[in-house]
Amino acid sequence: MLAYIIRRIFQSIIVLLAVGLVAFSMFRFVGDPIEQLLGQERTVQDVERLREALGLNDPFPVQYATFLGRAATGDFGISYRQSRPVAEIIAERAPATLELAFVSGFLALTVGIGLGVFTAIRRDGWAANAIMSLSLVGVSLPTFLIGILLIYVFGVQLRWLPTFGRGDVVDLGWWTTGFLTTSGLKSLILPSITLGLFQMTLIMRLVRSEMLEVLRQDYIRFARARGLSAKSVNFRHALKNTMVPVITVTGLQLGAIIAFAIITETVFQWPGVGLLFINAVQFVDIPVMAAYLMLISVMFVMINLLVDILYVWVDPRLRIDGRHT
Amino acid sequence: MRSILTVAILAAALPAGAAELRFATTSDPNTLDPNAGNSAPVFSLLGNVYEGLVRRGRGMEIEPALATAWEPIDGGAGWRFTLREGVKFHGGEDFTAEDVLFSYERASSEQSDTSSWFAGVDRVEIVDPTTVEFYTETPNPIFVDGIANWMMMDQGWAETNGAERPNIEQGNFATLNANGTGPYRITERQPGLKTELEAFDGWWGEDRGNVTSVVYTPVQNSATAVAALLSGELDLIEPVPLQDVRRVADADGVDTIQGIEARVIMLGFPHDADALIAGGEGNPFADVRVRQAVAKAINVPAILQTVMRGSAEQATQLIGPGLRGFSEAVGPTEYDPEGAKALLAEAGYGDGFAFSFKCTNDRYLNDEAVCTAINTMLAQVGLKPLFETMPVANYWPALRAEDHDMYLLGWSPGTFDAEHPIRFLLATPDEEAKLGSWNFGGYSNARVDELLPQIQAEIDETARQAMIDELVQITSDEMAYVPLYIQPLVWGVKAGMEVVQRPDNFLVLRWIEMPE
Repeated sequence: MLAYIIRRIFQSIIVLLAVGLVAFSMFRFVGDPIEQLLGQERTVQDVERLREALGLNDPFPVQYATFLGRAATGDFGISYRQSRPVAEIIAERAPATLELAFVSGFLALTVGIGLGVFTAIRRDGWAANAIMSLSLVGVSLPTFLIGILLIYVFGVQLRWLPTFGRGDVVDLGWWTTGFLTTSGLKSLILPSITLGLFQMTLIMRLVRSEMLEVLRQDYIRFARARGLSAKSVNFRHALKNTMVPVITVTGLQLGAIIAFAIITETVFQWPGVGLLFINAVQFVDIPVMAAYLMLISVMFVMINLLVDILYVWVDPRLRIDGRHT
Repeated sequence: MRSILTVAILAAALPAGAAELRFATTSDPNTLDPNAGNSAPVFSLLGNVYEGLVRRGRGMEIEPALATAWEPIDGGAGWRFTLREGVKFHGGEDFTAEDVLFSYERASSEQSDTSSWFAGVDRVEIVDPTTVEFYTETPNPIFVDGIANWMMMDQGWAETNGAERPNIEQGNFATLNANGTGPYRITERQPGLKTELEAFDGWWGEDRGNVTSVVYTPVQNSATAVAALLSGELDLIEPVPLQDVRRVADADGVDTIQGIEARVIMLGFPHDADALIAGGEGNPFADVRVRQAVAKAINVPAILQTVMRGSAEQATQLIGPGLRGFSEAVGPTEYDPEGAKALLAEAGYGDGFAFSFKCTNDRYLNDEAVCTAINTMLAQVGLKPLFETMPVANYWPALRAEDHDMYLLGWSPGTFDAEHPIRFLLATPDEEAKLGSWNFGGYSNARVDELLPQIQAEIDETARQAMIDELVQITSDEMAYVPLYIQPLVWGVKAGMEVVQRPDNFLVLRWIEMPE
C-alpha cells in the first residue's frame, strides 16, 4: 500500500515537471511581453533595459530552472501586467473561483442526482422524457452561449439578476465571500448554473443509467417481494449502490469545473483566476500563465492521486495485489 | 428575515443616485503610475486624478492647468511656465516648483516609459517659487503639446513611499496608489477588477459636472458590457461593438455617442526589402506604380459602409482632420480597379505576384474583417496576397523581425500633431537618433529626413504648415503608406447623460452630467 502511494506520488511529480516544461516552451509562441508593457513612444534602450530586468534575455533552460526553483518555495514571480507578486494576485482571485465552483458542483450534484433518480423511476413518464430531452441541451450547447442566453433573459429582459460581476463581497481577511450579501448571492445564480449545467446533465444521465441497471438486480426484486415501500427500495437499496461511480465522476468533474471556469468567468466578468488567466494570455503575462497552469495541474494530479488511493481503500482486491508487488 | 431581504432587494433595484457613475471599458489600465505606462487607458483614468502643467480642453485645445501661463524663452531656447498658486494634492500637500522639477526628473528617468517627451530637454530650472524654465537643445514649438499627459506628483509623497522612480517590472507604491491634484481621487483600487473614485473637494477648478462618486469596472467581453448597459447596471461603456450599435441606439433608456478617434488605419509596404518573404524575384513594392495600384484597388468607402457600418471616415494622410498640422494639400485616393490593373501592367506585373499580407485580429476595431475585404479587393485586380491574421502579441515581433511584406498599421499621434507620425513612421529608421522606430517597411526619403528637423524647430505656424504640406505631398505621391480610414469611436451611455467624447478616447469625468 505504502509503496503504491509513494510510486504514485513520484509519478505525479514527473507529470508536474512535464507540464511545466511544455507550458514554458509554449510561452515563446504567445508573443513578446515587452510589446504590451511599453507604449508606442518607447526607445530601443527602454526595450533592452526591460528585457534584461525581466530576465527575458536568458536562455530557455535558465528561465525554466529559475521558475522551478522559485516556484518550489512558493514564489511565482511578479506579474508583468500588474507589477505585483503573482501569489498575491492568485490568492485574491481564488475565493471567487472556488465559491463559484462549489455552488456549481453542489447544484450539479443535488439536482443531477435528484433528476437522475426521478427519470429512472418514472422511466416512461412524460416528465422524465421531457427532462431527458432537455438534458441534451445541457450537454450540447456551448457554455458561452448558455451564459449569454441566461444574461439576456434574466438580466436584460426580466432584470431579475445581475448580468456581470460578483456583487458585494465581505472581506474576512484571508477570504472574500459573496455568500453573506444579497447581491453576492444573486450574482452567483446565473454563472453557477452556466458552469454547472454540463456536469448536472452528466451526473443525471449517469445516475439514471446506473439506477436502471441496479433496479433490474435480483436483490431489488427480493426487496420488493418482501413488501418494502417503494421509497425504501429506491433510495435505501438502489440509490446507495449507484453512488460509487457517481462519486468517482464527481471528483474528476470538480477539477474540470475549476479549470473550465475560464469561459464562464469571461462571460460574466467573474473576478476569479480563470478571468485572470485569459487576461494573462492577452497581455503575455508569463508569470501568471505559468503559475496558473502549474496550480491547475497540481490540482488535477492531486485529485487523481486521491482517487487512486480511494480505489485501493474501497476495493480490497487492489490492496491484496498491492501487497504482492 | 423576509422583510429585511425584501428591503435589501428593493434598495438594490432603485435607480442609482444622480451623482454616481458606473462605467466599463474593455481593458484596465495596467498601473496608476503616470510614468510606468504610456497608453490611452492609463492616461484616460489618471487624467481625472493627476494634472499636468497644461491639459486639453473639450476640442483638444491646449489650456492652462497647473501652469497659468507659458511663453517661449527668448529666441526659442525653451519654455517658461508660470505655476498656479494655492493648489493642493489629495493628501493635503502644497503643489510647488520643486514638485515640477521632481516630476520632470521622474518622468524623464531611465526607468520611465514617458522619457521620450523630454528627449530634447537640456535642463529645467526653478527661477522662483512660481516660475519654472525648460531649456531645449533646439527650438521646440510643440513642446507644450507634447506634455499634456505629463502629470505632476508630490515629491514628499513619492519619497516617503519609496516611489521616487517608476518601476515597470516590479511595481511600487505608486503602482496601486495615487496622489494627484485632480478633481477626483482614487478611493479603491483592485487591479483588473474595480477602481473607485470620489470627487476631491479641494480641487482648484470650477468646471465640473455632478458626478461625485465613480465605480469603474473593466469588462473584457463586450457582449457582457452591452447587456449590462441595457439592463441599467452600467451608465457608460466603451466601446460598443459596431455590430451592436444599432441595437443600443434603438433600445430604450440608452444612447450611443459616436465620433472619430485620432487613430488612422493604414497599409504599410516593405520598401527596403530586396525580395518578398512570399518568394519570387525582387521586390515589386519598390516600384511606386505597384503601391499606387494597391491604393486604387481598395474601395475604402465600401469597407466603411459594410465592415465599419458607416461609422468611420476615409483618411487622406497619416493624421485625421482637426489635428494640428493637418494638410489640405492631398485628397483621398479614388477607387479605380481598372487604373490599378493598368498600373500593374505598366510596371510589368500584369499577371500579379504573390506577397504576404499580415494583419492583427485583436488590435483595431474589426481589423480582421477589414483585412479580409482588402484581401478580396486586391485579388480582384490580379494580385495574389497570402493573407494571415494574428494577435497583436505576435504581430509586432513579426514586423520587427522583418517577417512581413504588406501589413496593417494603426497610428494615434500622442502629441496630436502632424510631426508625430513623421517622426515614428516616415523618418528613415535610426536607433541612435530615435527616429522611425515604427517604420517597419524602412521607407526612406532624403527630403523627408531633411524636412523633419525643420518642422520640429519652426516656430512660425505658416512656414511650418508649408513644410508639412510639402512633406505630405511627397509621401502621398510616393504612396509610402496607403491611408485607409480614421477609426470610429462609439460609446454607449444611459439616456439623458451629458458626456464629452474627444478624439483621444479619454473619459473626462468632470464633464459628465448625470440625469436627475
